[in-house]
Amino acid sequence: MKKINIIFSSLLLAVSLLVTSVAQAKDIKIGVSFRMLSDVGYKHGELIQDTVAEWNSSGGINGKKVDLILYNDECKSEKGVANATKLAYQDNVHVIIGSSCSSVTLPMVPVISKAKVPQIIPHSTSSKITLTGSEWIFRVPVSSRFYKIVQAKFTAENAGTKIAHIYVPDQASMDFSKSMIAYVKSEYGVDPVYEAQAGEKETDFRSYLLKAKATNPDALVCSGLVDETVRCLVQSYEVGIPKSVARVANSVASKVEVPTNAGKAAVGVSYAAAFAASDTRPIAKDFVKHIKKRYGVVPGHDFSQMEDLLTMLKPALEKAEKGFSGDLASDRKAVRDAIAGITNFTGLASGPISFCAAGTPECRDGNRTPVMIEYTKGGKNWKTKVAGTVTFNASAGL
Amino acid sequence: MDKFKEIIRQYPFLGFIIAFIILMLVPSVFFTDLYQSHLASLICINIIVAAGLNIVKGFCGQVTVGHVGIYAVGSYTAGCMFLYLGSGLWLTLPAAILIAGLFGVAFAIPSFRLEGPYLALATLGGGEAIRLFIENGDFFMSTYGISNIPQPIIFGVPFDTPDKYYYIAMPVMLIAVYFSFSVLRSSVGRAFMAVREDPISAAASGINVKKHKMLAFVLSAMFAGGAGAVYAHLPPGYIHPNNYTVIEMVTFLAMVVFGGLGHIWGGIIGAIIITIVYDLTRPLYEYQLFIFGLTIVLTILFMPKGIGGFIDKYFIDRRFKTKTGAASK
Repeated sequence: MKKINIIFSSLLLAVSLLVTSVAQAKDIKIGVSFRMLSDVGYKHGELIQDTVAEWNSSGGINGKKVDLILYNDECKSEKGVANATKLAYQDNVHVIIGSSCSSVTLPMVPVISKAKVPQIIPHSTSSKITLTGSEWIFRVPVSSRFYKIVQAKFTAENAGTKIAHIYVPDQASMDFSKSMIAYVKSEYGVDPVYEAQAGEKETDFRSYLLKAKATNPDALVCSGLVDETVRCLVQSYEVGIPKSVARVANSVASKVEVPTNAGKAAVGVSYAAAFAASDTRPIAKDFVKHIKKRYGVVPGHDFSQMEDLLTMLKPALEKAEKGFSGDLASDRKAVRDAIAGITNFTGLASGPISFCAAGTPECRDGNRTPVMIEYTKGGKNWKTKVAGTVTFNASAGL
Repeated sequence: MDKFKEIIRQYPFLGFIIAFIILMLVPSVFFTDLYQSHLASLICINIIVAAGLNIVKGFCGQVTVGHVGIYAVGSYTAGCMFLYLGSGLWLTLPAAILIAGLFGVAFAIPSFRLEGPYLALATLGGGEAIRLFIENGDFFMSTYGISNIPQPIIFGVPFDTPDKYYYIAMPVMLIAVYFSFSVLRSSVGRAFMAVREDPISAAASGINVKKHKMLAFVLSAMFAGGAGAVYAHLPPGYIHPNNYTVIEMVTFLAMVVFGGLGHIWGGIIGAIIITIVYDLTRPLYEYQLFIFGLTIVLTILFMPKGIGGFIDKYFIDRRFKTKTGAASK
């Protein structure tokens, strides 16, 4: 009896292992490493889960089910590296989506390059990421090298070159201000009238703002994360910086919390982003309506970039899947080549997104069209207007 | 078996050689992918920090919540030495240990006058001050972090993948644990424990309390500094101030508390379990911190002396039963 039990258990184990391996061979795996801390962060995660569920319910990728493995990296490089390693070597994913934070995406690049897994970035903007020269990395958002030019030119030409900068110790915020300062210096030969780095999580900027006010600037740049940007904008009026001084923020200003929480202080704030909720194209209107209904928020460019990423990834996976051999390494290569083959993708982004084969910033910074946006109304029913868009050539800002 | 135990007791170094051989074989026998090697290296690094924390907290009874700052000092010593001098691990590791030791002196000074929650607050402030200093300093690459810190090359073989780097992290961990045991068994270790139990009695017995508190902080800091350097070189070799926050400090403390204060083995088991639990709960990211917090609360409620205390109790009970059994016969 005991022997029969052992034989039966072994058979059952063998069959289940076989079934699992067959199922694994059939599925397409997508790994995600993402900052899922805030309410909006969770909603980005939900958007990916819902989209993949829709793919699966409508037949998956060429009939194959898509497995989604979602990890939170808390915007910490250590966790991002661990997630990338786990997704590449243990979960054996075909493609990685991530991360939200540049400081996390940057150390993920050597990991995925060594493991030879294609990675597609939904949000990170730091130009350093694609400068690594990896053939496995693709960026959907606009790189900071384009943002700095458009924002610096727009501010200098519309407001003036006497610019005061207040930024927080966050990679994207510092990168934005410092690259804008460098660009204004190189193009107009002007240094900022005031430059200050606030402390971590500091929300009382009044001492910095008073010093900035004393320099009588043409424009004030508040470059921080959501809370810092909101406080800086609100307090700029509290300390008496006149309305005539142009307010500028980094792409964080596209997040819904900024106009909602800043209220009237958001009016007139200009920022460069990849998408404006006030976009009048039918595709954008439908998207805004859909996100509002499903997730209860007006989407900023974080949502639109994720949507674009998923929309362009599906046909790329379908194309790659046709050449899948079952060998993970060559399947990953097929996915990479399929993504690299995306040209002139037109989605929610303000301009076409194109990639190419070489692992250079020219080939891998897909979106080269930042859009200049200005808030015309703050509060819950905030409104924006598009001040202009510009499409750069591939090597601009390098 | 008894003879073997006796030999190990007489020559503890032999035990570590055996452990080294076993741990060398672990990857080829048990690991099925590179991620497990990465996790094993992280466990080794956490064990070094936990072993160091046990010296100051477990043996000497001093409260410290700023060790993560010293861990950051170790990492950034390695990072900056690479960045500005092009140094590799063999130079950065000893330098990180030495510099972290100096920071240990600074952390020890408040312990002369403060204790309990006041000392905890002082060290917490120290740890956070270090992180903020790094975060705001251009010299330390600020919030950009330091990248491409190289892995060592031995006989032309680069240890630049998780599976290879394990063979760097593991021996360093074993040396740290061996050193930790040596401290515990020495007169210094006994003096630490005397200070922990009652500083006044210890002083009355001729123990220089200040000196031993200082020594405990310095030794402990050297462990954290070493761990920080090993972490800095861990592939892909990237460090960022975000990885040295209070949350990381709480995780280190959880390892020591879960393992059992004053028990080296407990600290090791705590580091292994906490790292693995943290990893296993990764897909449950919405509940991860809740599960993690609940584990700590339940441990403190039902195993206040941690796993080490549990093991102690088991051995004491067994000894008692054996003795009473023999007496009744």
